[in-house]
Amino acid sequence: MLKMTHLSKVYRTEVVETYALRDFNINVSEGEFVAVTGPSGSGKTTFLTIAGLLETFTGGQYHLDGVEVSNLNDNERSRIRNEKIGFIFQAFNLIPDLNVFDNVEVPLRYRGMKAPERKERIMNALERVGLASRSKHYPAELSGGQQQRVAIARALAGSPRLLLADEPTGNLDTQMARGVMELLEEIHREGATIVMVTHDPELAARAQRNVHIIDGQVVDLAEDPRFHQAVHAARANSPA
Amino acid sequence: MMLQIKPILAALKRHKAGTILIALQIALTLAIVCNALFIIHERLDRISRPTGLDEGNLMAIGNRYVGADDKDTAAMMRGDLVALRQLPGVADAVSINSYPLRGGGWSTGVRVGAEDKKPKAHTTLYFSDEHTLPTMGTHLIAGRNFQADEIGEADPKEVGDPAVVIVSKALADKLFTDGHALGKPIYIGDTKKPSTIIGIVERLEVPWNGSWSDTFYENSIIEPVRLSGNYTNFLVRSKPGQLEALMKSAPAALYQANRMRVIPPERGVRTFAAVREHAYKADRGMAILMGVVCLVLLAITAAGIVGLTSFWVGQRRKQIGVRRALGATRRDILSYFLTENLLIGIGGVVVGAALAMGMNLWLVTQFEMARLSLMYVLAGVLALLLLGQGAVLAPAMRASRVSPVEATRSV
Repeated sequence: MLKMTHLSKVYRTEVVETYALRDFNINVSEGEFVAVTGPSGSGKTTFLTIAGLLETFTGGQYHLDGVEVSNLNDNERSRIRNEKIGFIFQAFNLIPDLNVFDNVEVPLRYRGMKAPERKERIMNALERVGLASRSKHYPAELSGGQQQRVAIARALAGSPRLLLADEPTGNLDTQMARGVMELLEEIHREGATIVMVTHDPELAARAQRNVHIIDGQVVDLAEDPRFHQAVHAARANSPA
Repeated sequence: MMLQIKPILAALKRHKAGTILIALQIALTLAIVCNALFIIHERLDRISRPTGLDEGNLMAIGNRYVGADDKDTAAMMRGDLVALRQLPGVADAVSINSYPLRGGGWSTGVRVGAEDKKPKAHTTLYFSDEHTLPTMGTHLIAGRNFQADEIGEADPKEVGDPAVVIVSKALADKLFTDGHALGKPIYIGDTKKPSTIIGIVERLEVPWNGSWSDTFYENSIIEPVRLSGNYTNFLVRSKPGQLEALMKSAPAALYQANRMRVIPPERGVRTFAAVREHAYKADRGMAILMGVVCLVLLAITAAGIVGLTSFWVGQRRKQIGVRRALGATRRDILSYFLTENLLIGIGGVVVGAALAMGMNLWLVTQFEMARLSLMYVLAGVLALLLLGQGAVLAPAMRASRVSPVEATRSV
């Protein structure tokens, strides 16, 4: 479903080159639920924005659903984002001027879908997240958890092949976070492929597979000398 | 574009203040610009009216005899005309009470029946002789010119009713709608004595160019009478290319003939081009002022649209990123802002069209202006909508270049 090979992302200024991702390799199969973890600045979000075709990469290869995306133009990238990818953002990113129904409708309009089909998909998606009765409400009239559910409904309405979630519970309290996580698990059980970036080890543990990123590279914690060094240092500093 | 109308309208409802302000600005601009353009067009129309004269070869001299009895001025005038006509470079010259664009003259009503109570037309009266048509360069299209023995002389206070007259075609057509004016009698002023039309000239404008004379600006009668009195105007027609020399030699010849006169240094000796320039100075000034008002208003409206759209683009940067992340192409974003502006513009021009008509109605009742043609409103609507689309283009292009990655950035 998602395969990155020797992928790199370099941010260049006049004086310095910064590698956000370096020799980055990852392979996510269809139907997998992968949690991506790592410290701040490790490259998690960069990975997610490249995976979601929100920005381009500098080197390497990226195949999404069998399509090598590096040579796609802006319109083709927009079309793939619209048809194959569903985004769930930490800050929900609902459009405040539109009500719940219109928010969920946004990606479907860009697909050029006819009104009756749009309506059917929107109501199905809202029912699935339990907010069909709130379709005329504006985002400001909803709780954080409800707003994130609307964002999930917006992501689901287009029947994407891949769901990308960026800290989906980061702005929610524990109870709401639990509810959103259960919803994602339910969606996964129904066959969706999900890649979720999170800081929360408890949430990461609920995914099928964990991928850890450090300094722009995917690392296996068991084989990472820095991990062992950190553990060793922690033990040495602890009182006997 | 149609695909986005409903959500754009929904979004605009949430930004009522900015939307209404811009729509009102468009409405006011349309109302003022339509009426201003109409006034400009009216003035330009007036400025470009032909007088019917050979303007390129004509000069006018305002002459006041001093120290002479009124009874002597007729002879002095005849002497002056002989002096002028003998000058090298003069095609012909005439003494006349007024001439087109002079600004002052005689006007009266004309009837076609001796017993008619109301005049059928309003007209100006020119008093002069058989040299009038050759001097003015006015084309006789029917009948004949005056003969020397038909010319009389009269004190301005005691002008009688002439047996024959020459009229302009516009007046002839107004008086006799069947097109057969030649040889017909007309009654000038309150008289019961007929004057027979012996000639019709193609065009001869009245001396006034204000809006009050718009209804009869080509209605003229030439009577075969030289008015005595101490003030007269000489019209001198030069041979081609001789006008400049005549501007000096003509007043010199008059002074040589008789020094008992005053020819004012300013506006005393003028080419007809200068007469025209002076006559339409106010109209030209008004047209320029209205043009500047239009340009300033349009610029302010365009700046308002650019400002508000730029503000909205800046305010919605993240939202644009989200739309791009959800699949909007750059063109979709561009189209969103163009459509949004078009919808505001349509609201503005609908109100503006009604305002324009209302404002014109007020001007019609207060200042006797003509009714505004719907074409001006339609042209104004189109211009304002295009102006809006043009003004919004730059900020909309900027919006379309917002990267989808903005969606992941915290504000």
